[in-house]
Amino acid sequence: MLRFLASRLGTAVLVLFVLTIVVFVLARIIPTDPAVVYAGPKAPPEELARIREKLGFDQPLILQYFQYLGGLVTGDWGNSLATKRPVLDEFATRLPATLELLFAAMSIAIVVGIGLGVIAAKRPGKTLDGVIRFLAIGGVSMPAFWLGLLLQVLFVGQLKLLPATGQFSNEVDYVSPITAVTGFPLFDSLITGNWVAYSDGLAHLVLPAITLAAYPMGLIARMTRASMLEVLGQDYVFTANAYGLRDGLIRWKLALKNALPPTMTIIGLAAAYALTGTFFIEVVFNWPGIGQFAANAMIAVDYPAIMAITLLGAAGYLIANFVVDLVQARLDPRVRLS
Amino acid sequence: MAVTRMRSPRSLSALTLGSIGVLVLAGCTVGGANNDEEAGASVLSVAASAAVTTWDPVRSFSTEALYLGNVYEPLIWKNAAGADEEFRPGIAESWESSEDGLTWTFTIREGATFHDGESVDAEAVKSSIEAAKDHAGASFIWAPLESIEAPDETTVVMHLAYSAPMDLVAASTYGAWIVSPKALEASADDESYFEQGIDAGTGPYSVKSYTPGEKVVLEAYDEYWNDSAAPSYDIVDISITPDAVTAQQMLTAGEVDLATNLPLENVDTVAADLDATVKTTNSPFNFLAFFNTAKAPLDDPKVRQALSLAIPYDDIIDVGGAGYGTQSRGPVPKGIFPYSDDVPQYSQDLEQAKALLEEAGHADGLDLTLSFSSENSAEARFVPLIKDAFAKIGVNLEVRAELFNQQWENGKADPATAQDIFVLYYWPTYSDAGADNLYSLFHSSEEPFFNLSYWNNPEYDELIDEAGTLTGSDRDAAQAKYEEAMNLLVDQAPAAFLYDAQAVSVVPKGIEVADFNENYPFTTFFAPIKPAN
Amino acid sequence: MTSTAIMPAFVPVGGSTFGRVLRVLRTDRLAALGLALIVLVVVLAFFGPWIAPYPEQGFGETSVGDRGLAPSAVHWFGTDQLGRDILSRVIIGTRPALTISLFVVAIAALIGIPLGAIAGYRGGWLDTVLMRVTEVFQAFPPLLLAMVTVALLGPSLTNAGIALAICWWPWYARLVRAEARSLRDRPFVEAARAIGVPAWRILPRHILRNCLTPILVQATVDIGAVVLAAGSLAFIGLGAQPPSPDWGLMVAEGRGQIFTAWWISAFPGLAIFVTVLGFNLLGDSLRDFFDPRQVKR
Repeated sequence: MLRFLASRLGTAVLVLFVLTIVVFVLARIIPTDPAVVYAGPKAPPEELARIREKLGFDQPLILQYFQYLGGLVTGDWGNSLATKRPVLDEFATRLPATLELLFAAMSIAIVVGIGLGVIAAKRPGKTLDGVIRFLAIGGVSMPAFWLGLLLQVLFVGQLKLLPATGQFSNEVDYVSPITAVTGFPLFDSLITGNWVAYSDGLAHLVLPAITLAAYPMGLIARMTRASMLEVLGQDYVFTANAYGLRDGLIRWKLALKNALPPTMTIIGLAAAYALTGTFFIEVVFNWPGIGQFAANAMIAVDYPAIMAITLLGAAGYLIANFVVDLVQARLDPRVRLS
Repeated sequence: MAVTRMRSPRSLSALTLGSIGVLVLAGCTVGGANNDEEAGASVLSVAASAAVTTWDPVRSFSTEALYLGNVYEPLIWKNAAGADEEFRPGIAESWESSEDGLTWTFTIREGATFHDGESVDAEAVKSSIEAAKDHAGASFIWAPLESIEAPDETTVVMHLAYSAPMDLVAASTYGAWIVSPKALEASADDESYFEQGIDAGTGPYSVKSYTPGEKVVLEAYDEYWNDSAAPSYDIVDISITPDAVTAQQMLTAGEVDLATNLPLENVDTVAADLDATVKTTNSPFNFLAFFNTAKAPLDDPKVRQALSLAIPYDDIIDVGGAGYGTQSRGPVPKGIFPYSDDVPQYSQDLEQAKALLEEAGHADGLDLTLSFSSENSAEARFVPLIKDAFAKIGVNLEVRAELFNQQWENGKADPATAQDIFVLYYWPTYSDAGADNLYSLFHSSEEPFFNLSYWNNPEYDELIDEAGTLTGSDRDAAQAKYEEAMNLLVDQAPAAFLYDAQAVSVVPKGIEVADFNENYPFTTFFAPIKPAN
Repeated sequence: MTSTAIMPAFVPVGGSTFGRVLRVLRTDRLAALGLALIVLVVVLAFFGPWIAPYPEQGFGETSVGDRGLAPSAVHWFGTDQLGRDILSRVIIGTRPALTISLFVVAIAALIGIPLGAIAGYRGGWLDTVLMRVTEVFQAFPPLLLAMVTVALLGPSLTNAGIALAICWWPWYARLVRAEARSLRDRPFVEAARAIGVPAWRILPRHILRNCLTPILVQATVDIGAVVLAAGSLAFIGLGAQPPSPDWGLMVAEGRGQIFTAWWISAFPGLAIFVTVLGFNLLGDSLRDFFDPRQVKR
């Protein structure tokens, strides 16, 4: 088990290292002047030259790379060219909002996805199964940004039930400010009993979370169904049935437990997709998270921000896969021993 | 091996959905309360797109002017076009220049204080301007300044190397703010000094808090020297919303009282929804399309004139600016010196355009490339109209959308391989479009910077250079020379002058705002905003 | 490959591959629906300019007087902010959408399949290097690598295509590598080697032919996935640029008027959905049929 983990860790570190080289080189050979991004388009040439010198853009590439690498290790990932603040700070400020959104969306996706998958496996080939398969595949096929816009038109424009954008209304800061405990605003409002802020936050969370949940829900539902079908054909299920165990008990307790491992892998994958999905959904709903920051950084060609996003994104993905592998190894001894 | 227990998903989902449902209904009661009178503080909530790139008033050269313009003040303010007086006093009570325009004297008022408690005196002004000339983002505006002295507590004297309009410079929106000397000293070596939130201004508001990328909160400054211009709202809460659509939604939902960036095409519907008034004024922003005069076929003025005649100016204003714009007369935006209504403009005439093209020897059409900034939604909207119009006279236009940075880099590269037409959105750094637009955009230069037509016309250069030296001493003579230059521009057409954008504000029923001042296009002045009666 | 799964009643067990696929289509309604949608999209891609009611507008000709009209008998899907008929734009936009996805999948397959086959068959350091390289590419959350690449290269449809191809090839490489590795030691391959058949003949004839079905299934689903990815990139501003009739771009253009002119964003988005749905429905049924346990990407 230890060797398995160590080798995975080693690979991950190597991968990240190669990534830094790749992204760094790509960023530097592109014909966009970072000094212009920093200073704005109206700065005269002398100002641009001064900035180039100050930020070290005129030094040889190798030197710049090693300076960058050194900075990475010491925690200085550079300042965003657009906001002039350390990139890591920008990340840290925005991370809680994205994580809350992800958590909400994945909760919906897991609950609904597994539920639908199990129900569909009850009677494969029949109408209900077809409907659920259609829903699952539909979820996976739907452009997230389109779904978000449609939901906005329906719930905000027509029915006027929910707010369109943002994480909280402006009023909350004045009427009932949230005391920061963990740094996660919605969670903090819940544990401090701040119902005004909590309900406001929930109202803002509903549409983005549902939109984000569509794709992972589809993946999870499909995998659960396939997995359940596989398990339900096993001998021990047949035996349990023969013994007279209730159908529901077999399905939800016995079969599902054993159908879960492949679904676990999918959940990890689905979370990764959801993370990229936040890019689009945070833009549509103006959610103050990392996705919005990343989308803006791409358009503005803000190198330090793009590098940080790439590295953190890859690192996060690797960690998530690692965790999934760990969980799977715990659950399924076959994986460990292979 | 422990296996995780699975709660019955069905009951869990029911519980979650149920609680969401209850709380959603409860949540709908929040919001709708504006101008909160809580604990006696009046709050104005605003949605603005301006990001803060720096809090340093000297180095600032970007959108943060929206906030800084309320926190800092210059020596004098330039009034909007049409006001009785051209300027009004700021930190300086009065000012005068010598006959030859080489010496400018400003009298500093007494009783003004910085937010950190220091008093404003001539020394402070001197330090601010020296700092600006040294390392401001817009330091070039102080290029004419040779030396500056403070003979006594309330007098500042500027000695110029050549005659220049220092009143315009001192009223600039960038690089002209008066900053507390304590802060200037501390920030001279430490470039990130101001980013901690240090506020060293004299203006009606001070910075209460800043959440990067999200919110700026301004608080009224009690000791503000100008009682007649004291702010009405105690707190201004500005949500940073770069997305115009979001700002619109916040305004219509009542989450904010004012939104400074609304999608132009929706202005009318929003105003109707909220029963608000729409105010339009001149702005210093305009669009132009440079022709690459360094390579064929656009090195021939006839071809350029033909293309200028093919452009559907009215449609472009309708589609690009939602009707909020006026067709340009040369590159100087309407309302900014030295704009003149006597400068001619082209009108779309496809027949004449075709005839001119034939005359120039291109009866069988042309293939041209055009580049525009993909981030600019107005350009993205109206460029297809140009493509269509050109198609009607046999010109096949290939349209390239590039992020502005890249578009500009490509434009500054070798003119022989660069684009044929460069669409640019421009504005002058301070309200002298002779020294800025006319010079930066069309004066010949060694390396292309903003002269993206690569035009090199000695007659034009001479006119501009001369006019520049006259602006400080004889404004009218300068105007006359500039007009000659602008007529030359329109005739030779190194660029097509598309339209001058108007500034549009939607003023909701409950408040009164000051008119937009085109000299400070990035600043929304919050002090004059008050609740309507 | 036997499976203990309880298969839906309609999965046939005997006969040729083609015959079995046909039977799936006949009995699984979703698969048939998927195929129908795909056929619709392909027809529109080929014959779009003749089917569209206002083809010139589809290609970008503007009509300033008809801006922002709601859906009506004259304009079934309404008009956009430049007066162009949206139905025509959606139809004309089918061809570039399909072309770019076919291009991306083809390039990804062309790069990935040979690399994977050689690495899997040969083994050794070649295999290790390939595995590491694909791991680097797959270390990214999906689409992030594409976004970064396009941001750095400059937004355009071509660059989006290149970026997506770069993201997709590792999957084909790994797919084929796994198959090649397992097939390498099979008796029939060993026999071929023993009698002196050179590798360059073994690979296509024996190895690749057996990979064909998973590759085709993957490709079917991938075409849809690339349409979705390209549309998403365009929506953010990192893909096709105006005035091209790209579906994702049209959704972005209509976003400003979503409350007053919802049709500008709604119908292009629907086009993306329908196209991707078609490929996914068909691909999913085929995958269910060939191997229901294959971990889905």
